[in-house]
Amino acid sequence: MAERVFITGLGMITAIGDNVADNLRSLRAQKSGLDFTRQLDTIYKAVLPVAEVKHTTPALREMAGVAGKEGYTRTALLGLIAMQEALQHAGLGSLEDESTGFINASTVGGMCDTENVYFDIADPEKTGDFVKYIDTLDCADCTQQIAEVVGINGPMTTISTACSSSANALMYGARLIKAGLVRRVICGGTEALTRFTLNGFNSLKNIDKRPCRPFDNDRNGLNLGEGAAYLVLESESLVKERNATVLAALDGYANTNEAFHPTAPSPDGDGAYAAMKTAMEMGGCTPADIQYVNVHGTATLSNDVAEGMALQRLFGENVPKFSSTKPFTGHTLAAAGGIEAIYAVLAISHQIIFPNLHFKDKMQELNITPETQLLEPYPVRHVLSNSFGFGGNNASLLISKYEG
Amino acid sequence: MKGKCYIQGMAAITPQHTFEGDLSQPLVVTHGNMLSCVEPDYRSFIAPNSLRRMTRVLKMGLAASLKCLQDSGIAVPGAIVTGTGKGSLQDTERFIKEIRDYEEKALNPTPFIQSTYNAVNGLIALQQKCTQYNNTFVHRGFSFEHALLDSMLLLHEGTRDVLAGAFDEITPEHFFIKGRIGHWKKEVISNDALYEHVSPGTISGEGAIFFLLAPAATAQSYAQIGGLEMLYKPSPGKLKTALPQFLQKNGLQVTDIDLVLTGANADSNHAHYYEVLNDLTHCPQLPFKHLSGDYETAGAFALWLAGQMLKQQQIPSQWFPMLQQQPARLRNILIYNHFFGEQHTFMLVQAV
Repeated sequence: MAERVFITGLGMITAIGDNVADNLRSLRAQKSGLDFTRQLDTIYKAVLPVAEVKHTTPALREMAGVAGKEGYTRTALLGLIAMQEALQHAGLGSLEDESTGFINASTVGGMCDTENVYFDIADPEKTGDFVKYIDTLDCADCTQQIAEVVGINGPMTTISTACSSSANALMYGARLIKAGLVRRVICGGTEALTRFTLNGFNSLKNIDKRPCRPFDNDRNGLNLGEGAAYLVLESESLVKERNATVLAALDGYANTNEAFHPTAPSPDGDGAYAAMKTAMEMGGCTPADIQYVNVHGTATLSNDVAEGMALQRLFGENVPKFSSTKPFTGHTLAAAGGIEAIYAVLAISHQIIFPNLHFKDKMQELNITPETQLLEPYPVRHVLSNSFGFGGNNASLLISKYEG
Repeated sequence: MKGKCYIQGMAAITPQHTFEGDLSQPLVVTHGNMLSCVEPDYRSFIAPNSLRRMTRVLKMGLAASLKCLQDSGIAVPGAIVTGTGKGSLQDTERFIKEIRDYEEKALNPTPFIQSTYNAVNGLIALQQKCTQYNNTFVHRGFSFEHALLDSMLLLHEGTRDVLAGAFDEITPEHFFIKGRIGHWKKEVISNDALYEHVSPGTISGEGAIFFLLAPAATAQSYAQIGGLEMLYKPSPGKLKTALPQFLQKNGLQVTDIDLVLTGANADSNHAHYYEVLNDLTHCPQLPFKHLSGDYETAGAFALWLAGQMLKQQQIPSQWFPMLQQQPARLRNILIYNHFFGEQHTFMLVQAV
């Protein structure tokens, strides 16, 4: 019989906080991280709001404990900061005594740094220091940089399924544990803002010039964000052996594909429905057992219709409290699934439901509206966390209270 | 992890004539250190209006996956899992340039969408209406291998079959870029003379290779994937103990191996790792990168070769002129490959 998978450590950095405690504080204070960029060189600097981590890259290098060392991209540094917190939170000093895996997620790897030197890199006439960034062009670089600093000694890889990447990383880690291949895996994702992705989503006319308004009738797109989040997953036996504190259980997950359109969901939310339903059933839950859904809720026209329809189909008249936390953190792409999985754990451990900021009017297509108030205390035992992405990728996680 | 994994169908687009699965094709010799794929006529797989929009690696990936499904007689797989080191380089390069050239204004979103690493997976799912599990690994020399491990987990968990594959392309621009950090040889050579040129760097390559994997053998099975092991930057000592442990875990001794396919690529910077194979002198050791060139997911090509050889019980001698004599039998093939000394993999491929 496969072992249960528990969450025993959390670490994160986002536009609303440098660690988990600061994130929780900003969520409670209903303080959005959206602002204009200070780091990115783009013509949209004062046009498109983003949720940027409020530190320069050299400052992040200090925070990550690698001051003065070369070769770390912003993506790797954000990840390293989150990783170090997660390990510390789980009470893990050294990883030497247990094979520990690392399943990371990234959409564009070190693009944040390479896009600034790319034309020098590709120009035979130019020589210089920029050559050191060549190795950071891909998605594996940040994973390996992080792994080497903290001494990862188990399975290691990187997943890229667009905006569902880190939800899939958590799922893959949990499955490695259940298959008995490893007893501890750290999973999540890291994402830095880039001109590449900002222009990509902008060219799709998917970015709102205002702070995003998930599930609002007047929504007009997403805002991008950056950050990193990792969760320490451990098998039940390892948790018992080392007497670790369990924060929550990862009892259900699902990955489905819509096979509908390269960048748009089906209007009825078929993929979202299937992902939520499968994750819920895997964890032995019925719709009535779910108290909170942390929705993908990007505030794009098509996502919120599809996801809302899926909620109505799955929960009928009794849709649980739901909210998108993207008005706080922006859409952090490969990091989103990890960040929101941590928020789901916080919802359970602090008995709290986070508000969906910037909501005013119900969407015409839906009967439901998101939760706009901070609810605390609110009884939360089971949370669904949704992450959907390009390529029709849908992922849902069921995170549950651990009751001994 | 218990459970078995059989190759029920496969297809490969590589720098050799591999697409029809005919091992009697002549060796394609390329002068120059960048091998490019022999591409099939895509029109029999992809509708003309889709074909016009798609860039090269998308076409290669989609066509190879569809040919693989055709070969296996399965239209809709139970899952689609792939690995790629670089995704669609052409689209990434194009979007970076358009951002600069058009000063971030009025950009065409197509290259951005297609540059997404899971674009090929999405296309396959869309074309075959496969609404099940879909995942993409993007970790250099562990990209295809984790796709394979994920597939084996899925079969173990009860998925009836999995389409697993790998795709990578090389462009002149990227060839130049990776040359700056010493990936390629300075001297210009031909792939058929690769192993005569032991010096820093190797030759580059590309490929799109897919497998249909299932938990039970049938008459059409090519081979069984008996074992898979990944090691990140292992010390020489660790590597040396890992190989016999890997074989032992799969119930084999060194002498049970009938053939070794090695990733040896005449790169003097990383050649020493292949000394781990010095204990396997009783059987032929054949390098394969003169056929494919080197790239992140070249391990998928080695698996395709092993599958073909096991099913046909023959090594294509025109592709492997270094082979002195056909082995008496082909039951167990060991693949050992690494990507520039970082990601090392062992694969055990067995006759059914």
